[in-house]
Parts: sequence; structure tokens; C-alpha cells
Amino acid sequence: MAAINRVVIIGWDCAPADLLSDEWLAEMPNLRGMVNQGLSGPLRSSDPPITVPAWTCMVSSKNPGQLGFYGFRNRKIGEYDGMWIATSAAVRARRLWDILGARGKRCAVFNVPQTYPVKPVNGVLISSFLTPGTDSQYTHPPELKTDIDRVADGYIIDCENFRTDDKGRLLDQIYQITDKRFAVAKYLWEQEAWDFFMMVYMGPDRIQHGFWKYHDPQHRKFQPGNPFERAIRDYYKHLDQQLGELVSMAGEDAAIMVVSDHGAKRMEGSFNINDWLIKQGLLTLNAPIDGPTKFSVDLVDWSKTVAWAWGGYYSRVFMNVQGREPQGTVTPGEYESVRDDLINRLTQVTDDQGRVMNTRALRPQDLFSGPYVQEAPDLFVYFDDLYWRAGESLGNASLHSSDTEIGPDDAVHDYDGIFVLSLPGEQRGERLARLQLMDVAPTVMKLLGTQIPVDFEGTSVV
Amino acid sequence: MPGQSDKVTIKIPRPLYNRIGKLIEESGYNSVTDFVVYVLRDIASVHNRAEDEVYSEEELQRVKEHLHRLGYL
Repeated sequence: MAAINRVVIIGWDCAPADLLSDEWLAEMPNLRGMVNQGLSGPLRSSDPPITVPAWTCMVSSKNPGQLGFYGFRNRKIGEYDGMWIATSAAVRARRLWDILGARGKRCAVFNVPQTYPVKPVNGVLISSFLTPGTDSQYTHPPELKTDIDRVADGYIIDCENFRTDDKGRLLDQIYQITDKRFAVAKYLWEQEAWDFFMMVYMGPDRIQHGFWKYHDPQHRKFQPGNPFERAIRDYYKHLDQQLGELVSMAGEDAAIMVVSDHGAKRMEGSFNINDWLIKQGLLTLNAPIDGPTKFSVDLVDWSKTVAWAWGGYYSRVFMNVQGREPQGTVTPGEYESVRDDLINRLTQVTDDQGRVMNTRALRPQDLFSGPYVQEAPDLFVYFDDLYWRAGESLGNASLHSSDTEIGPDDAVHDYDGIFVLSLPGEQRGERLARLQLMDVAPTVMKLLGTQIPVDFEGTSVV
Repeated sequence: MPGQSDKVTIKIPRPLYNRIGKLIEESGYNSVTDFVVYVLRDIASVHNRAEDEVYSEEELQRVKEHLHRLGYL
């Protein structure tokens, strides 16, 4: 391996493993070049496969049981209504830039999730989409913000609203933000002295959620010949061009990675889990409700409730346990048998055609290790292996909804993202199997010739 | 507009300055000033702020609304 002095990670949030197929690579010459020359393979995401915790699992090489968060929102244990948002303040683990920075490596960190509020780094940092707005302090050092705004010609944190039917406008916005990111990336690349550079494009996630039904013939709402049939492919071609430019700027001592935090696939619909729990007699309301209603703890008769759930791309089921919840009904002695019963019932759930879904209801103790497993929800539920998202609202006309409660969404998350690594001066073209998020950070450490911390859970792939 | 008024001078003992100069050799910090500013920013940062204090009430609403539209809440 030639001498490597610098490592670059380019993140494509939500980019699915399919991108590594010949069919996709045929349209992405720069990614194809990296695949043909370097190491690549599907990258297994975290459980749950979702932006938070996935990116932080990747850059800290730790599972969520060590990190202490399982999604953007997390429940305050012992409260029905209490929740907190996993910002950078919730990240106690050291991430790549903390470790490398302390070892004298300069880092440029750009748009990586869970970096707001901004903590200082040895180098520069621009935070990501938990930043309230461009009026917030979103850079380190603070004065970088002025430069970023100028270079981007008005910096934008994220898409305003991807759940819209105005698809033309959404597409314009995604491209606009992508190009601003690219302009800033080039600026940081050229202006800053760095040993480690990491940026994340959120665009793939936004475009896939907004346009999957136009692109995937297997999607229920796909219509051949629709005007957006190539929207996702064209967007990846656009990203590939930007990748090519960055690679050409990298120099001969740089290793370059393209990675994603999880994959994506078509959404079949939304399964209204709290309505289902009511039908199962496991969740009781104070009074009947009239029509679709946002879930609220005030509506629930907790003295007659066994379990309730949060929705999203996966569901979190909480049991109402005596001694833990204010009005718990499940005794600690019957906890496991009640949970087994819940798993049994959940795995028999059917889709809107009456077919038994391939649902996975998972115990946190089987997924995670570490001091925060006790704070996890009682069950993680992937309806139909994630093809169905979970709806949280009450009083829906059916257990199955074709859209989400808050507007159109075409894609759900999938387990496998992508890993591509090109090494200077090497012609390997190796396809790797069984890679997982936590392997990325140790790989970076190894490439930079610095010791891999003993508490890393992954293994270097080089 | 950046100008001289954006920066102030702080005096530190010369032996400390010299010691830091040695510490940062080959460290990636370009100067003692770079290093000192980094350390001070780290100390003065939000590092130890409680999670609840990250956002003002208004910012929290903005972030929750955004996450809601993204489908995470």
C-alpha cells in the first residue's frame, strides 16, 4: 500500500447497496472506478437502521447500547410523555475527529449528523440538520460561518419539506442544496489543512423518500413513463460527477471512502400500531375517539394499558411496567411472558391483502450490548422486514394506510448501505462481504497509521 | 467585516508559551495561538451543557417540526 497521509469519507445518507450493482455503476463512472480499483461491499447498518444512531455508530465504532440513543427522539424512562432529542450533546463517545484531533490530526467535518450543538475540533466543523437554522452557531470556528454563507451563496441546512406533492420544487431544492454542499466541500478541501475529511450529503435520503415511487417498478404507485422516472438515477449521476471532482482534487496520498449509513427500499404502506394494540386489548383509551387523532398520552387509560408504541420507519414498543411506569400494569414477574406474547402477536400481523407480514420484533438485549441497553424500548419492531413503516396515530379507518400521517413518503430504510474504499496506487477490485458500520472508524485509524482504540467494536478492513 | 478589532491580545507567561510551542511540534496546530484558542474554545463550549439546554424553547419547536416533517417524530 502506498503511503497514505490523508483519509476522506464522503457520505451518501441512505444510499442502498444496489448502487454497487453493475446496472447502477454503469451510470456512475467515478464510483465504478473506485469499486474496480479498491475494496467495496454492502455495509450493514445499525439496529435500527436509521440516521441516528447509524452515523454515530460508524464514526465512534460503538453500538447504540454503548451510545445511549436509539433514534432522533428517545424516551425519558419512567415518563409516558417525556422525550429528548439525541443531539451532539448526547454523544458521550469519542468520534473519529475527537480521537484523531487529540493525536494531532487536523479534521474537516462537514454535515455529519449529530454535530449540533457544535463542539470544537482540531480543524473545522459545520454541523448538520439538527441545527435549528442558519441563525444558529453551526460552525467551528465560529467565524467560518461567514465564509460558508458566502461560498454557498446563502447556506441552507436542509430541505424545508420533502413531504410535498410539489415534486418539481422539491427536486430543485434538493439539487440546490447538493450544489451548495459541493461548493462548501471544495472550499474546505482547498482552504483548510486537513488529514481527515468527512462530509455527508443528505440529498440521497431526501430524494429517495420523495421520489421512490416514480423510479421503482415494484412500488405500488409506480406508473411507467412518469416524468420523474429517472429522478433518482439522474441525481446519483450528479453526485457521481461531484465525487469525480473531489477525487481528482485529492492527491496521491489520500484514501477515499464513499459510505452510507443505511439503505432504502420501497414503502408498502404504514401500519397503525397503536390502533392494532387497541384491537388486541393491550391499549385502552379513556373514551372513544372520532377519526384520525394524533397519539397523546392524555387519551390513554394507563390503568388498563399493557403497551403503547412510537411510529416511524420502525416501531418502538413500550410496556407499561409496574415500578417503572407511573401507572404500570405489567408486573416484573410477568414481564418476559407478556413480551413473548407481544412478539408472538406482532409476528402474525397481516398486510392489507391478508398476507402474514415478515415482521421482526426484537428484544434490545438480543441487539445491543453496553450500559444503556436498560434504557432501550422494550421491543424494536420492523414491520414486514421494514417494508411497512409504523403509524402512531389513533382512530384510523384501517390498520393499513397507504401514506404516512404527515404526507407522502415513498421509501423506507433497509439494512444494507454501501462501502467503497479506494487506496492510492492499488488495483484490487475486491468485493467484500459482512462489512458493518462499526468497521469504518478502525479502518480510518489503520489507514492513517494510528493505533485503533481498544474500545472500538469494529475491525479494520485493511 | 473581519478586522483587527475582532481579536484581542492575552498575555501568558513565556515559559508556558515555550512549553506549548514544544508540545505542538508536529501536532497539526500551526501555532501556539491556534492551540490556545482551541483549548479555550473547548472549555468554553457546550460540552457539558445538559441535553435539555441545547435548544431554546423556540429552537426546540423548530427542530421538532423539522424532524416531524422528515418522518422521524
